[in-house]
Amino acid sequence: MRARLRFLARRLALAVPTVLFIVIANFVLLHLAPGDAAEVLAGEAGSATPEMVAQLRQKFGLDQPYHVQLARYLGRTLTFDLGYSQRQGMSVAELIGKRLPATLLLMGTTIAIAIGIGVLLGVLAARGLNTWRDRLISVFALLSYATPLFWAGLMLIVVFSIKLDWLPTSGMENVAAFYEGPKRIVDIARHLVLPALTLSLFYLALYTRLMRAAMLEQSGMDYVTTARAKGLDERTVVFRHILPNALLPVVTMAGVQVGALLGGSVVVETVFAWPGLGQLAFDSLFSRDLNLLLGIFFVCACLVVVANLLVDIAYTWLDPRIELD
Amino acid sequence: MRGLRLLVPALALLLGILTVVSSPGALAQKRGGTLVMIVQPEPPSLASYQNTAAPIGQVAAKIYDGLLEYDFDFKPHPSLAKSWTVSPDGKTITFKLQEGVKFHDGKPFTSADVQFTFMNVLKKVHPRGPITFRDLEAVDTPDPYTAVFRFSKPAPYAMAALSGYESPILPKHVFETGDLMNHPNANKPIGTGPFKFVEWEKGQYIRLDRNPDYWRKGEPYLDRIVARFIADAGTRTAAMEKQEAQLAAFSAIPGVELSRLKALPFIDVSIKGYEMISPIVLIELNTTKKPFDSQKVRQAVSYAIDRKAIIDTVFLGYGKPATGPISSNFEANGLYSKDVTNYAAPNAIEMANKLLDEAGYPRKGDGVRFEIVHDIIPYGEDWRRMGELIVQQLGKVGIKVTLRYEDVPTWLRRIYTNYDFEFNSNFLFTLPDPVLGVHRTYWSKNVRPGAPFSNSARLTLPKVDELLEAATVEPDHAKRAALYHQFQKIVVDEAPVIWVTELNFTTVSSKKLKDYLVSPLGVYTSFNRAWLE
Repeated sequence: MRARLRFLARRLALAVPTVLFIVIANFVLLHLAPGDAAEVLAGEAGSATPEMVAQLRQKFGLDQPYHVQLARYLGRTLTFDLGYSQRQGMSVAELIGKRLPATLLLMGTTIAIAIGIGVLLGVLAARGLNTWRDRLISVFALLSYATPLFWAGLMLIVVFSIKLDWLPTSGMENVAAFYEGPKRIVDIARHLVLPALTLSLFYLALYTRLMRAAMLEQSGMDYVTTARAKGLDERTVVFRHILPNALLPVVTMAGVQVGALLGGSVVVETVFAWPGLGQLAFDSLFSRDLNLLLGIFFVCACLVVVANLLVDIAYTWLDPRIELD
Repeated sequence: MRGLRLLVPALALLLGILTVVSSPGALAQKRGGTLVMIVQPEPPSLASYQNTAAPIGQVAAKIYDGLLEYDFDFKPHPSLAKSWTVSPDGKTITFKLQEGVKFHDGKPFTSADVQFTFMNVLKKVHPRGPITFRDLEAVDTPDPYTAVFRFSKPAPYAMAALSGYESPILPKHVFETGDLMNHPNANKPIGTGPFKFVEWEKGQYIRLDRNPDYWRKGEPYLDRIVARFIADAGTRTAAMEKQEAQLAAFSAIPGVELSRLKALPFIDVSIKGYEMISPIVLIELNTTKKPFDSQKVRQAVSYAIDRKAIIDTVFLGYGKPATGPISSNFEANGLYSKDVTNYAAPNAIEMANKLLDEAGYPRKGDGVRFEIVHDIIPYGEDWRRMGELIVQQLGKVGIKVTLRYEDVPTWLRRIYTNYDFEFNSNFLFTLPDPVLGVHRTYWSKNVRPGAPFSNSARLTLPKVDELLEAATVEPDHAKRAALYHQFQKIVVDEAPVIWVTELNFTTVSSKKLKDYLVSPLGVYTSFNRAWLE
């Protein structure tokens, strides 16, 4: 336990420079993009005087040289003050705080579905190697992997929402009814089904293939032969011996993909009008709301760091030979 | 059981007949219900006094009233002002205000609020206010229900700019303290309108509830309006199809879906309600550089563009060829003139080729006269398709076009700050009066680097400046119209921009939603009389 705590502390300490580096890199990269938030606001207004644009720029702090802006930004970030989004008229922390639950809900559900079903299908396919079951699963995986997310999303809407009328098209809750209490939870769950399913499809396919390959690889190992020679039944061999070993690559992949999932969710959030961080980031990029965008990147960087840490810890549970050190 | 099965439809039929027979000509408005309207994109704020973007106007106009409302002939009607008189010299307008009106926080509305709104807010922080009300010297308040507008020069256009969308009346007691550019109530608006702001879940919806103390007794009929934000066009269509929403304006539903939706028994598609916005699709030419410094080249390109083909293939029939800077919607009040060079002539291609030869750009060995880059307004796929069509159309007369598509901030900076372009597509709202929406593109004093949608073609024409300046202060409507007719003739001949189409925005609505379209401002109105069947 003490080793684990020491490990945690060390990794967290190492994460600080990583995150700082990410913040600086983001800041520099984003400032390379032409145009700024004041111009976008003036452009949206349809008409504005140059004096007004200058006034906005001054208010947003955009009239300062870049290094001053960067120094100010870093100073604030170190105290966990993410600043203020002039465009949205709200503090960045508050904006992200409001969107984070929706993102985490969608991400959590997606990871659960993708890993759960992916592992199951992978095991099933590997156990019935080259049978119709294996082929069916492989074809399904290939199709899910190759289908563009936005198309899959729209098709699910057409089928389940318009034709069958089972589920709502989009949004996170019914805005004509404004349910409360348990009814609201059911309502949100109903809204969650299609986006989570869409976003899972791709990852599910990936984990299925990965799991199948890992299962097959492990099946040929000496320890499996030993286990069989000991007279263990097939069930125990598969679930106690092969499965935990085969899970390692899947867990590794899942950890790496937390970051990708945040990015991939932009498409799904757009299609299903899901009020998560992806859409917020997308909008803030096109409105050059850099404070907000940097804030989102910061939070995402932290999420990825934490996810990787969790994966490292998960290794030690799955494979006791791996030591935290 | 069998008998019962027959009885029910029979009764229903009888009831149906009775209802049809007994109902009078007009259906009675019904109280109650929630209107879900799709607003695209999500507004950046609700400060309609500071930002005139369409999504803001659609929501804020339900909360803030204006002094006036307008009918389809652009004639003003009472709103917060119950009557008004204009002095013979056009320099003084006296408004009598409604009595007993309360803001949503319970405080009374008086002439002090009107004075504060115009002098301290609209003249200072509104994007168009400093231009619209530049000659407004003072608003006098002899008593709480009289507001006297004193102009240094006649301002005939100002009467067209007093709607709740263009000039929302704010509560002085709320907005006089704090920074107007960043006011705590910017996103928690308090007005006198039929609907009160309740909450804004960013990324999801804005909820407005019925104002029970609205000054028009018995109105509004709706209990609630919810503005929903759905970023994907396909999903917006699905939401309308599934009747999760009842209204989607400003072409939120893409043109390709309209014919399918229109066929549904419960959907209406309309192009009305944009007459005071009158968007015109145009191409801005950089007249300070070769080749568009030559009037002949500009005219040639204008001839070479096939407006009809663009409307039919890109805008799927929703539009009308544009003939000049003022929209034909202004035929209603006589400002529009047809007496201009007709670039949609039958021999247009021939004319274009002739003019290009004359301008000194003969076809070279490969048939190409010169090459240009076409910047595309980054507001979606339609504009890209229009660009591709233009590549073909100009190719026919020997102009080789390359397309350039950038994101909004990059594009804005390129066109309106750096002027680093040759040929740029755009669409501009020409608004309820030419002073507000037309002058900016042609008046040489509106060449203002850094101001989006100002005069980017930068052609200086003293005669045009003179006419525009005269029309601005001409109180006599007929004389003013004559000045605009002259202006149209000259500027169309000079062709600093190419007028392509008068764009039709579409509004998709549920047939259950009634009486929402009552003004040339369309969804920029308060919906005080809208109701759901």
